[in-house]
Amino acid sequence: MSDTPLVRLRDLTIAAPDRALIEGVDLDVMPGRVTALIGPSGSGKSLTARSVMCVLDVDPGIQRGSLHLPAFDPKIDWFEGVCGGGVRAQKALLRRTRHLRGAYFTYSPQSASSALNPGRTIGRQLQLAVMRRKQPPADISKEVVGVLAEVGLGPEVMRSIPGELSGGMCQRAALAIAVAPQPALVIADEPETGLDPVLRRAVVELLVRVCRENGAGLLLISHNHDTVERIADTVVSLPGPEGQA
Amino acid sequence: MSGPVVAVKALHKTFQLTGPWPWSPARDVRAVRGVDFEVRPGEVVALVGQSGSGKTTVSRIILGLEQPSAGEIWLEGQRWDTLSEAQRRSKRIRYQYVPQDAMGALDPQQTALEHVTETLRVLGGCDRAEAVEKGMDMLKRLGIDHRRDALPREMSGGEQRRVTLARVLALEPALVVADEPTSGLDPDRRESVLQALIGNLPEGAACVLVTHDMSEARAWCDRVFAMLAGRVIEEVALSKATPAHPYARILFDPWSGPLPRQALAEEGCPFRPDCSLAEGAVASKCGTLVPELVSLESPEHRVACHALAEAAAPAVGGD
Repeated sequence: MSDTPLVRLRDLTIAAPDRALIEGVDLDVMPGRVTALIGPSGSGKSLTARSVMCVLDVDPGIQRGSLHLPAFDPKIDWFEGVCGGGVRAQKALLRRTRHLRGAYFTYSPQSASSALNPGRTIGRQLQLAVMRRKQPPADISKEVVGVLAEVGLGPEVMRSIPGELSGGMCQRAALAIAVAPQPALVIADEPETGLDPVLRRAVVELLVRVCRENGAGLLLISHNHDTVERIADTVVSLPGPEGQA
Repeated sequence: MSGPVVAVKALHKTFQLTGPWPWSPARDVRAVRGVDFEVRPGEVVALVGQSGSGKTTVSRIILGLEQPSAGEIWLEGQRWDTLSEAQRRSKRIRYQYVPQDAMGALDPQQTALEHVTETLRVLGGCDRAEAVEKGMDMLKRLGIDHRRDALPREMSGGEQRRVTLARVLALEPALVVADEPTSGLDPDRRESVLQALIGNLPEGAACVLVTHDMSEARAWCDRVFAMLAGRVIEEVALSKATPAHPYARILFDPWSGPLPRQALAEEGCPFRPDCSLAEGAVASKCGTLVPELVSLESPEHRVACHALAEAAAPAVGGD
């Protein structure tokens, strides 16, 4: 496995009109490793993850910091020209990094229901995700069956729409869609939220196993210290909004 | 009062579910399959279990929000499930429900105080001045009196929960059934919402807390009923004993061993396919007979497990 970091974020500082939202956050994600981002509510966990994905609309926004994606291109600092540039610069960054989202990194949101299209079969949604690979396979249907098997779902799920599946199956399907494009990095925003304890462990283990087997890095946002202690290789802890940890 | 606030007897509930499409076949789902328990005055009990185990259905049937397919519900010594809605109306003030979705339960056009005063006037029979006085008192006790004029969309998730709690607690109910009142909140806010709910229960009031957060059940509840596939598989006071049922042990500490991999069994003990105790002479019993709740070391610690019952049988008799 390569030692080139997937993400190198340095000194990220983001401000709202009246206060600093994040101050001086450093973060690295390595291939096949789990980096956990923890902190109390309002500490900027999701904002940090959105910064890594270059999806920001905060005014005045990024004040300082640098973002390198060395495994993609070690020379580019994606935040160059964005610091102090306000919403306009952030929108330009969003356009410039469009090709990265869903390919270099994918995002698994808190709720599986918001990750899945309710009117489209799981098979079709997975086909679209597989087609985002750098080199899409010749037999996409066969690949879709393989990805479903990786997350413990049978081929019959391909014909189902999300409403026909249980909550746990939807979580697995959402996870399959996140890993199907074979991204270098998966960003999972509190994937355990709303799940019962057994399913919580199952989903987290699955996420980590699939990422490790594919050599992908995992940036995990969580406020479950038990989970983080068990699976994370690196922990980045953000202080609370008033400075309390 | 010495009798139980809630008595659930041989409760069954079967739903008929239709598929997502008009032509999808309907199927029966047995959500609750013979649940019995009692809740005494002043007691806080938790119904815990995985999603789909039937805990929310039981809690809704207790308050008459669903009709049982079979079984009985007794509230404060009176049969509840056979009453008509008109007969229940005057008594509902004593039995209150805290829903999971606080935002959905609040009127987007009413302020925090208006939510409480309206409930006090409509259900509690208070006049306007009394309702405002009691409403402000309750908002103050829950620490949101400074948000009295805030609309639901202007409140944080924790504040919205507190308004739903204030509305319920202001009526001084004998029973509060709370369906995952902390779901979707951060751990730091969960603690304060439960403190607001349980710390402000009227004297002698009982509370049924539906949750799948085991640390909440451990910290706040006198007794816990663990549910699996529509049945209670263990009743335990966590301050006095640790869960004994192999499934309950996984539920309370999912990282302690391998997770269940097999589908639940339709016949016999539902957990049998993944159970480490269903071996040897007891295995055939596990495969054919649904285990009944049996007392272990104390009458308050009951487990539905053939293997544990047989192991305990020489020392302690089953009930």
